[in-house]
Amino acid sequence: MNRTLKLGLIFAAAAAVGHVGLVMATPRVIMGAAIKRTSKDGSVVNQFQFGPRTTKDSRAVVRPSPDLAYSTCAYNLSQGPILVQAAPTPGDGYVSISVFDARTDNIAVFDTRQFPQGIRFVLAREGQAVPDGEKVVRSNFDQGLILDRRLAPTAEQFAQADAARRTDSCAPLDSKGST
Amino acid sequence: MADPRSLSRRAAASTVALGLIAGLASGWWAITAGMGGESYSGWYGSRVTGSQDAGPWLRARVAVSGLLALTRDQAIYFTRKTDAAGERLRDACRYQVSGGPLPGRWWSVTVYADDNYLPLNDDDALSFDSTEVKLDSQGNWTAILGNARPEGQAWASTRNAGNYDITLRIYQPDKSAQDDYASIRMPVVTKLDCGDKP
Repeated sequence: MNRTLKLGLIFAAAAAVGHVGLVMATPRVIMGAAIKRTSKDGSVVNQFQFGPRTTKDSRAVVRPSPDLAYSTCAYNLSQGPILVQAAPTPGDGYVSISVFDARTDNIAVFDTRQFPQGIRFVLAREGQAVPDGEKVVRSNFDQGLILDRRLAPTAEQFAQADAARRTDSCAPLDSKGST
Repeated sequence: MADPRSLSRRAAASTVALGLIAGLASGWWAITAGMGGESYSGWYGSRVTGSQDAGPWLRARVAVSGLLALTRDQAIYFTRKTDAAGERLRDACRYQVSGGPLPGRWWSVTVYADDNYLPLNDDDALSFDSTEVKLDSQGNWTAILGNARPEGQAWASTRNAGNYDITLRIYQPDKSAQDDYASIRMPVVTKLDCGDKP
């Protein structure tokens, strides 16, 4: 094999490693940063935080919708499953709870059209024991984010959605008294 | 004299470095260039945004420009950077957006500056939605993208948006729309005029 061919093959292999490595790493790195920011460097996990009305100054996540009220929960399943609950907004306004894993995949989503009385499920790693009778979502990762979205295009609707979401929970099963 | 077939460590290391740089650059280009997904009358959307079916390139693109996007059974997203003539949307111009009934429970159109955040203005009109537009007897509607609030029409402010894009979100879309994005009658964005910012 001559020198030019060897260099060409080395170049191509290095370029492939750089290209694929960046593409594969990007979602994990960006999601890691979002989890870190949402959890305030890991100090606020497994509990919802209720965001203010979206404005031009909302810069935590790219492309926020100004028509929605967002609440986020940075979850960590390393100590066991968590129970997630969300109440509907009065007036049948759109409410959804979506679960994202550490790779950015949307692994589950529920809305109050499916569950008009409210959303309730257990989030657990594969292999973790969960109570009978609960809806269960399994994640391949310990960490990720849960997002509560509520339709709130006006200040009045935001106030209504904000009041409703205050009963949301995202907490370890034991702390909710479940078995 | 060195054998022309031999490779010094220095040459190999330099080649590896150059290859990595080229690979990183092409990876970043693949993640950030273009809109990704398929085009529907100038609007770009993807059927696998947010889902576990997304491949690594789309997943990376979504992480950069649409982190925490919903899957299509909850919401479908379309984005465009150009008007109907193919020219870049910019805040020095005024556009009319016109459309018909959209297949979902609720929809909105939002303006994003080219940093992927909302434009820095205090007009309290970052988007318009299905509850704001006035429908004619056929369910058709119009709205304005511009720097000044129009009389009696829905609008989204583009003040300080620079070269911007708009995103159409259709929440809880009908099954037929989820299955066939091409069946959706997409809104048309027509340039009205351009001028200095007021």
